[in-house]
Amino acid sequence: MPDETQTKPVLTLRDLCIEFPTPKGVVQAVKALSLDIRKGRRVGFIGESGSGKTTTALAVMQMLAEPGRVSGGQIVLEETDILSLGEEDMRRTRLARVAYIPQGAMNSLNPVMRVEPQMWDAIIAHEGATDRATLKQRSDQALVSVGLPHHTGQLYPHELSGGMKQRVCIAMGIILNPELIIADEPTSALDVVTQRQVIQTLKNIQAQIGSGLMMIGHDMGLMAQTVDELAVLKDGEMVEHGTVQQILEAPKHPYTKDLISSVPLVGGDSFLNPGRKADAPKRASSEPLLKFETVRKDYGPVTALHPLSFTLHGDTPQIISIVGQSGSGKSTMGSIMLGFNPPSEGRVLFEGQDIQRMNGAQSLAFRKNVQAVFQDPYACFNPFYRVNHALKFPFKRFGLAQSDAHTQSAMEDACAAVGLDPDLVLDRYPHQLSGGQRQRLIVARALMLSPKLLIADEPVSMVDASLRASILSNIYDLKDKYGISILYITHDLATAYHVSDYVMVLFKGHVVEAGPPKQVIGSPQHPYTQLLINSIPWPDLARSWGDGGDNWDPSALEAQAEQTATEYRGDVAGFDLIRA
Amino acid sequence: MTSQDNMPLTRAEKRQARRIRRFDNPWMNPKLIWGGVLLLTIAAIGIIGRLAWDLDMVFTGSAQLKLPPLGFENLRGQPGQWAHPLGTDGGGRDMLALIVIGAPNTLFVGLLASLIGMSIGIFLGFSAGFLGGRIDDTIRVSADVMITIPPLLILVVFQSAFGDVTLTMMALLIAGFVWQSPTRLIRAQVLSMKQSGYVQMAQLSGASTSHIMFREMLPNLVPYLFGSFIASVTTSIVTAVGLEVLGLGPQRIPTLGRTIYEAINAGALIQNLWWWWGIPTLLLGVMFIGLLLINLGLDEVSNPRLRKLS
Repeated sequence: MPDETQTKPVLTLRDLCIEFPTPKGVVQAVKALSLDIRKGRRVGFIGESGSGKTTTALAVMQMLAEPGRVSGGQIVLEETDILSLGEEDMRRTRLARVAYIPQGAMNSLNPVMRVEPQMWDAIIAHEGATDRATLKQRSDQALVSVGLPHHTGQLYPHELSGGMKQRVCIAMGIILNPELIIADEPTSALDVVTQRQVIQTLKNIQAQIGSGLMMIGHDMGLMAQTVDELAVLKDGEMVEHGTVQQILEAPKHPYTKDLISSVPLVGGDSFLNPGRKADAPKRASSEPLLKFETVRKDYGPVTALHPLSFTLHGDTPQIISIVGQSGSGKSTMGSIMLGFNPPSEGRVLFEGQDIQRMNGAQSLAFRKNVQAVFQDPYACFNPFYRVNHALKFPFKRFGLAQSDAHTQSAMEDACAAVGLDPDLVLDRYPHQLSGGQRQRLIVARALMLSPKLLIADEPVSMVDASLRASILSNIYDLKDKYGISILYITHDLATAYHVSDYVMVLFKGHVVEAGPPKQVIGSPQHPYTQLLINSIPWPDLARSWGDGGDNWDPSALEAQAEQTATEYRGDVAGFDLIRA
Repeated sequence: MTSQDNMPLTRAEKRQARRIRRFDNPWMNPKLIWGGVLLLTIAAIGIIGRLAWDLDMVFTGSAQLKLPPLGFENLRGQPGQWAHPLGTDGGGRDMLALIVIGAPNTLFVGLLASLIGMSIGIFLGFSAGFLGGRIDDTIRVSADVMITIPPLLILVVFQSAFGDVTLTMMALLIAGFVWQSPTRLIRAQVLSMKQSGYVQMAQLSGASTSHIMFREMLPNLVPYLFGSFIASVTTSIVTAVGLEVLGLGPQRIPTLGRTIYEAINAGALIQNLWWWWGIPTLLLGVMFIGLLLINLGLDEVSNPRLRKLS
């Protein structure tokens, strides 16, 4: 690595202030930010949503959304003062000198144009008319450099997978050899395996053209594996800045420490309250709580879930984790259990009753006993009502309410149990609450109904990292305190390791590895589980992602995984997975 | 906002503050307010007129023929009279009395027709979106087919067959042609809402289908319903007036359209009796501008992206 003091900075931010005038007064989105990004260096901006990281990036592109404005400071790109550029000069600068790789690649490509002409547009807009052969040659070169075959150019965006679309966006970004690449959470919509591939592509290409990289994200692990320097932002202020090593090994600011410790580690300390094994309330029924009898689900010609049989006795409450990538069939399983989605074959029995053949009263009892926490806390509240509607309505509907005062006190107790102040949240509208508050309310709602089974479908994947641990421990505490068995559906192996009693790893609708978490996640045997574990970015420089080097090929590993039989790694009392 | 809170505000600052207030409370939309004022004016003409004016003057021969409005002279050199401030028509009917009765009638037909049409649309749209399957296919196809049929053509045939109809009958006939677009709109919204988290939550809460439809979904449709309602009021009035100007529709009840028809029939254009056809046309214009403004205003209310801070 060249000496830092000798390379010239590509981008200099000096006392940058950005403000947004709103009806409630001026919001300082970025406060006096000063930072250099040097040639060939990768600098990460990390912080929670609303910390001003994307705003800074957009200011560099002069693309701040109205009514935001730069109220002070300087942005210098090599020798050019960005803020003094006019509209036309700025247009020339974008992409040619600063490239922006957006967060949602799926929405960034024109759906009615093939990939190639979209890349050509970029060249033509900056370099004028160019002949077709040159265009073709340059777009092919860019696609190959991000590891895509060049026939990708002739495809439409909908024919590409999420990871491929993100790589097309990277190819488009580097086609004019920019001095600075800004990557705004480029992998937040991708699963871990694809994330690792995309980030490696981005790192390689950036090293090749030698530009600066500004990487925006909220995942400390991903940052540790990607960047050289890290700037920690909180409420528009840079609270810490240094090399990744400095920050990971000796964080100074308490917020940085929080960010690092919020990443759960496999094998590390548990974030849960240990001990507390209160006696769970006894169940009345002798039938197993939930039973899958060769349940299969097809969507047209695609089989989302291959025949699966298991029995969850539920006499002692347990947490069963179902782990897999998107498209592995785990959410399908969740909706089958909730009865939203009838299985194509087989039966799902809840306390001995087929959930697809219930009469009105049975169905109401089933609804009361099987509750869910969904992924998106923003969608779960009806925007028309105050949030207490979501808690009050089912409570009354299931006949639990004795009086209005009883309902009110039950709501307040439930809020207190998940660590919310009932006076502050219950009378608000959903849009006035943060994602974390809403997700806790959904947990509180489930708690009020005291179901026997809770299906938690990715309950924390859309919540800020620092809140994940506390929401998960809320859910975990319910298990023993109220005797609720929980099915935890997730893509996050580290949290599954800590909370669950039994783990099933799902791959293309098959269970590929199952057993207690210490075995399955602690020392995986199946190639697919190994692939998943190796793709997790750890906030630990010694535990490098790059150990596979450039020849790390997930598709070969997946092909191998398809050939390997299911690994059964031991049993847990109370849960029987029928071996296929 | 800044530190100069105690200084008197400049004009620009006051304007800015007003804009921000408007941004804060979407219902303070100037378009919405102006549209409302225009429509209320027409309603007020109907109400106050009924109290303050002698309505017997809508009958033929209750005054001198073809008197001009106040301050004008007709071709015979007669000046306008205080007894008939807006003049009289070729049958000696007082224009003001005609308007006091006719303008609310026209509005009434529009409102009633679109109320009925919207109710059909809400019912069918919800059924199609929520139940799906065969029911959805049937409703969707029939709405799509109905959209392609020009309503005026069918209505002309119907009305000439019926001869004289009442206002309510006319509204019913028109309602048969304004339910399609609300049906389509609501069906599309219901389909997307059905997948939303809060509907799933309601299902988990054991909510009945009717609770989900009317308590969870319908309130969120209100802005769309309003917009669609206003649009169909406009369509209904245009259709009604179109029929009346052709001489169809109610034969004995004064409406704005019928007044225009009679004016044209009696050659008011060549006799320079401009008040006869001009005043009803002006009122119709005011009505449409009012409806248009309300529609634009509602659009901004329900779609915050159209709202601008500056």
